[in-house]
Amino acid sequence: MEITSFFFLCFLAVVLFVYYLVPGKLQWMVLLAASVAFYLMSENGVLIVYPLITVTVTWLSMRLLCKVDKKDIVKRRLVLALEVLVLLGILVGLKYNNFISSDSIIAPLGLSFYTFILLGYFLDVYNNIAEPEGNFFKTALMGLYFPIMISGPILRIRDLKKDFFEGHKLDYNNLTFGAQRMLWGFFKELVISERLGVIANTVFGNDTEYTGAYIWVGALAFTFQLYANFSGCMDIVIGISEMFGLKLPENFDIPFMTKSISEYWRKWHITLGEWMKEHVFYPLLRTQMIMKLGKVLRDKLGKKKGKQVTTYVAMFILWFSVGLWHGGAFKYVIGSGLLHWFYIVFGEVTLPFWTWLFGRLHINMKSRFADGVRIVRTFFLVNIGNVFFRADTVPHACRMLKEAVTTWNPQVLINGSLFELGLDWIDFTVTIVSIAILICVSMYQLRLEKTAEAEGQTYDYHGVRRFIASRNIVIRWIILFAALFYVILLGQYGPGYSATEFIYQNF
Amino acid sequence: MNKKQIFKIIIFILIFIWLTISLTYILRTNGDEKDRFTGFYSEPDNTIDAVIIGSSPVYPGYATPKLWGETGIAMYPLSTNMQRPVAGYYLVKEALKTQSPQLFIFEMRMYTAKEDDMLNTIGHTRSVTDNLKYSWNRIETINAMVGDSEKFTEDRYTYYFDIFKYHSNWRTLFLWSQIRDITYEYPDDLKGYVIKDNVGPTEYLDVSDITETTPIEDTQEEHLYKLLDYLKEIDQDALFIVTPYTADGTDKQAQYNYIKAIVESYGYNFLNMNDADVASEIALDYSTDFADYGNHLNAVGAAKVTEYLGQYLIENYDFEDKRGQEEYSSWDESYELYLQEYQQAVDTINTKIANEDWTEVEEGE
Repeated sequence: MEITSFFFLCFLAVVLFVYYLVPGKLQWMVLLAASVAFYLMSENGVLIVYPLITVTVTWLSMRLLCKVDKKDIVKRRLVLALEVLVLLGILVGLKYNNFISSDSIIAPLGLSFYTFILLGYFLDVYNNIAEPEGNFFKTALMGLYFPIMISGPILRIRDLKKDFFEGHKLDYNNLTFGAQRMLWGFFKELVISERLGVIANTVFGNDTEYTGAYIWVGALAFTFQLYANFSGCMDIVIGISEMFGLKLPENFDIPFMTKSISEYWRKWHITLGEWMKEHVFYPLLRTQMIMKLGKVLRDKLGKKKGKQVTTYVAMFILWFSVGLWHGGAFKYVIGSGLLHWFYIVFGEVTLPFWTWLFGRLHINMKSRFADGVRIVRTFFLVNIGNVFFRADTVPHACRMLKEAVTTWNPQVLINGSLFELGLDWIDFTVTIVSIAILICVSMYQLRLEKTAEAEGQTYDYHGVRRFIASRNIVIRWIILFAALFYVILLGQYGPGYSATEFIYQNF
Repeated sequence: MNKKQIFKIIIFILIFIWLTISLTYILRTNGDEKDRFTGFYSEPDNTIDAVIIGSSPVYPGYATPKLWGETGIAMYPLSTNMQRPVAGYYLVKEALKTQSPQLFIFEMRMYTAKEDDMLNTIGHTRSVTDNLKYSWNRIETINAMVGDSEKFTEDRYTYYFDIFKYHSNWRTLFLWSQIRDITYEYPDDLKGYVIKDNVGPTEYLDVSDITETTPIEDTQEEHLYKLLDYLKEIDQDALFIVTPYTADGTDKQAQYNYIKAIVESYGYNFLNMNDADVASEIALDYSTDFADYGNHLNAVGAAKVTEYLGQYLIENYDFEDKRGQEEYSSWDESYELYLQEYQQAVDTINTKIANEDWTEVEEGE
């Protein structure tokens, strides 16, 4: 069941109705029942057995951990090993089986999302920063909560547990704001992403036919498609949860307005980045292997450089893991992993050179112009990574990038050739206007975010909706109906239309 | 959530529903069939004397403005291409919501067709369901026409909420010919008649020797009985007809004999215009009066058949001649327009005959 489908909206309406009908203490049970039903109704619903195994193992591991004396390190580590090996074993076995066998196994819905959520929760319990859950069914809800099964976000249970299990009263703001957030997600996915997907599919699907500017257009289209698709899905998931009274973590924070790759990754797929930092990177730095390496390098390269290089090595493993998380293919390891590691390391290593160069050229590094250049540069580098991400294989991506820089054909940008990529001029215009709307709203959000930051507050992502809510009812409803029918009319869906599924759905 | 907030949500949803319905009416694909239905809905209440229901032989075969101009009978077609017989019962109910016709006329060609063949093209179902105004009867029509057939399972909800299908017509949103359908009521200039100026020659097939009967498909028979029972129940007069055609050869004649027996057992008239005596009275020239090789009539053929039907109605039913009545002025205008378009069509037909410029057959016609 696609979350942009009519059936899903009906399903959600029924769940919401029942959720607010039952006493607050029982609401979580409604969510659990809905989650199981959602899974069973999805394609290959029988595969629910996998998340149930993961839930059971995590719950048992937590029970075991509670029984083991906190000072008995060996036993605690045995439990840890049990949890990690089983969960990662299932994940690797199902997701990366193509490395081992040509017979592909169907992966269950939400595999890496629920695995990371439950594993993260267990690790928090192991590290004594979260309370273990004694109730099996409550643990099951944390792993199976239906909106996140499509594309996350990767929940941090220690932050959300209370929210999940306390009762929520039907609240006008939660309901209307949640619905508006969902609408925003539908706008991104159905109006923007589906259209851009046509261009990206044409260029990447026939990559030997396109050269020069076509490839840049294809890459740009895919970058915006990926953002609209993934962040749109998150808007829908967060909006649904708001309607239930649950506040899920944000997964995106205007990532294309960032000045460096490191900052970009703090604002793109935020929950994955945080999970990786918390459960891979920091523990890695504390491992004996890395600490020994650090000592050797400090002795050879000096304290500062030795520490730096040690960090780069740990980062290499981190980025390799991030790339691998996206899928069992080398193109993901490069496009979403090691290439970004290279960007960051290269940037840091060559920073003195750039500082010197800009100084010689009398360019103020703190000027708005310099910031603009950084933003464009970051966006460009992300696009390069996305070429690897979207291309069939790494050699395909390399060939495309070579063709992109060796063929000079900017005339195709203005002579109407772009309309042969699958969208006619009207659909092209709709896409451009919609992206312009997206950018305007994002800029307004960025402004609100900066204002909140300056006032020492945390931005709650409700700014645009509060702005609409502050207008009088006529203006407010005109805006809402306009938005609603913009999506209904211009969205790409319906009979005979084969929608692209959410790109992160199979990750 | 307080009462005021609940009230606001309800009002918002009601406005949303109203806007969605209006937009759907605008966005439903334009064409003859849409014009025919919006035209029907726009007719003032209780002004239609006869409603003719059936498939594609109807709208090019019966020149309703001519019938009005020559007899004063206001007849309107609720017909669609390859209309499945199941629709008949529901179209009667739809018509009776705003009209109280003295007579319902049913064209029977599709009662001899195979249900499975008709189900293969969703357009044959959608042309009925997607041309009805939103109402309970529309839901019942969809329930009956879409049913549990596997061919519809996947997109079934899009029949009830056809915005899912027609939203992609948004580019037509600003065409006057679409905007005017916002209430799904807009007069049709030729009162549902579609003039055809093509020529596809055929030859008359004498069916008078075929007297045996062959049952029609069970499904169609069920629909026929349901329709007849309903007509009897509401004490509604009806006429069952077969429009002249030769496209099926003589194969279907035995089935028409079968239908005739059923219809007449209910006390209704059955008029098969392929019968030799009727055909000779109509005096069609089979080499020039068909648009597509004995399937549908062209303007000249329609004029002859309409003339015959008008005479038949006057002789067998008690219709009041309403010409001259103020509320029928649109029918007078329609007749004027018809005369002009008919003359143009005759000229075109004559030229085509002279040049032997025959119609190319389209699939599904």
